[in-house]
Amino acid sequence: MSLSDKTTQSDTAVISYLDQRRGKIVSNTGGWFPGKGVFTHGYSMLDELVGDKSYFQILVLNATGKLIEKPLADWIEALYGCLSWPDPRIWCNQIGALAGAVRTSVMSATAIGALAADSRIYGVFPLLESVSFIKAAYLKSEQGLTAEQIVLETFAACKGKPYIMGYRRPIAKGDERLEVMEKIGQKLGFAVGKHMQLAYEIEKFLLKEYDEGMNINGYMSAFLADQGFSAEEAYNMFAMLVASGVTACYLDTYRRPPNTFLPLRCDDIDYQGAVYRAVPD
Amino acid sequence: MTQEYKHEQVRSRNEAFAQRTATQIWHEQASIDNPYIAVSALCHGYDLFELMEKRSFVDVFYLLFRGELPSEHESELMQALMIALINPGPRHPATRAAMNVGVGKTEPLHILPIASAVLGGQVSGGGEVESAMRFLEQHQATNIADYFASSMHDENNVCGFGRSYGGVDLLAQELAGRLVKYAGAGKALKWGHQLAVSLEHKGIGWLLTGVAAAALTDLGFQPRAGGCLFQLLGAPGLVAHGLEMAGKPILAMPFVSDENYVIER
Repeated sequence: MSLSDKTTQSDTAVISYLDQRRGKIVSNTGGWFPGKGVFTHGYSMLDELVGDKSYFQILVLNATGKLIEKPLADWIEALYGCLSWPDPRIWCNQIGALAGAVRTSVMSATAIGALAADSRIYGVFPLLESVSFIKAAYLKSEQGLTAEQIVLETFAACKGKPYIMGYRRPIAKGDERLEVMEKIGQKLGFAVGKHMQLAYEIEKFLLKEYDEGMNINGYMSAFLADQGFSAEEAYNMFAMLVASGVTACYLDTYRRPPNTFLPLRCDDIDYQGAVYRAVPD
Repeated sequence: MTQEYKHEQVRSRNEAFAQRTATQIWHEQASIDNPYIAVSALCHGYDLFELMEKRSFVDVFYLLFRGELPSEHESELMQALMIALINPGPRHPATRAAMNVGVGKTEPLHILPIASAVLGGQVSGGGEVESAMRFLEQHQATNIADYFASSMHDENNVCGFGRSYGGVDLLAQELAGRLVKYAGAGKALKWGHQLAVSLEHKGIGWLLTGVAAAALTDLGFQPRAGGCLFQLLGAPGLVAHGLEMAGKPILAMPFVSDENYVIER
């Protein structure tokens, strides 16, 4: 039997569902209708949002469907500032610097650098784990567990590894951004919420027993949990969190002679592979 | 927000980072008067120019990732797979992303990074290939009947297998059926073939990602590499379609009318 004679055993309901969507967009978000307006999550963007709401209010609306108040948007904007460091030693930023050294476009450099922050150990991706952790930890505390018990239970679940996302940081111990964000939060009128209170208690125990404190990821996770955001919403709204720092690093190398960023001699690479061998015919 | 919380003083961990980056893949020999200019390159010990003269692209591709040149049978299977995956086709979301880059007059150099990212999805993409490779590695030694006898295993949730647009993907079945006959085919392709045969009457079969996963597993690649390789092997088709559209006006692709744009509110 040739392939063209074979049947696919298909579910006709699926084909019907797909046919109903051919050439049609069905959105629960919004869209642009020339002459009528642009709509997002029930709001007319140009009539109700642009000019009246800040960019970060619109960003969070697009990312979560929630129109947040200006102080919260300002807090999120400040957080973006905390993750926009122009230091090319940071892995995502170095991608921007390398891109500048070979003259890609600034948009290419910024986009791929931002993508690199989809990392298991730094950047934006860990928010999925850290927001989930503090939310689950809070539920445990509601059931009567202490911060110490929560920490030890979490370590046990990780085969004894003393590690909780949001409470350790590469390169340095401690995080200078916490006190800055605390002051900004205070200035914007935010009180310490229940998740943040627990996060501080967890940090206190970790500092005492393991000499490891909370990092900016842990701090923002607790804050965002107090504001009612889910882990996925947090991840979505910070998708481009490191972009500005990447741009800065790109421009620094872009303005210097090409291929001069951290130049490598041939023997700067430590070759540990097979020695020369003849290619078999 | 009160200031009663005292955080630790920021200090460097002073961790011992490597002084030089190490690799087992590539060795460049410096010229006698400029340490930045190489005069030869070894790939896992083989001189690049010797490889050019004596081996195929497929062999050197395999060498690059596996560290050894392939056997004749491995090379045949690898080449067949590379041809089969060379183009995800104009309906695949990754190819459509490439076409949008092209028709939208975005810099053509952006076609590949944009479209290959879409080809890295958890569905119909590299993410699914990686998951399917882990699934095959775990189960390929299990008897098919025993596999389904376990209540743990749901036939509607077999990674790398399933319904494509509601039915069996005939091209994927055909591809698997051909690859399994190659001398280089191993446990994964053969086990997957049995699984697909046992599920076909239910409208479930190989997905293309599953076929890729099985072949890559039999060729000895690790699951972590599998997803990236799927992106890499589909790249030619993505770029070709993107470039084709780059030469056409923006009207060359459909733009959904307002009448066919429905906001669910």
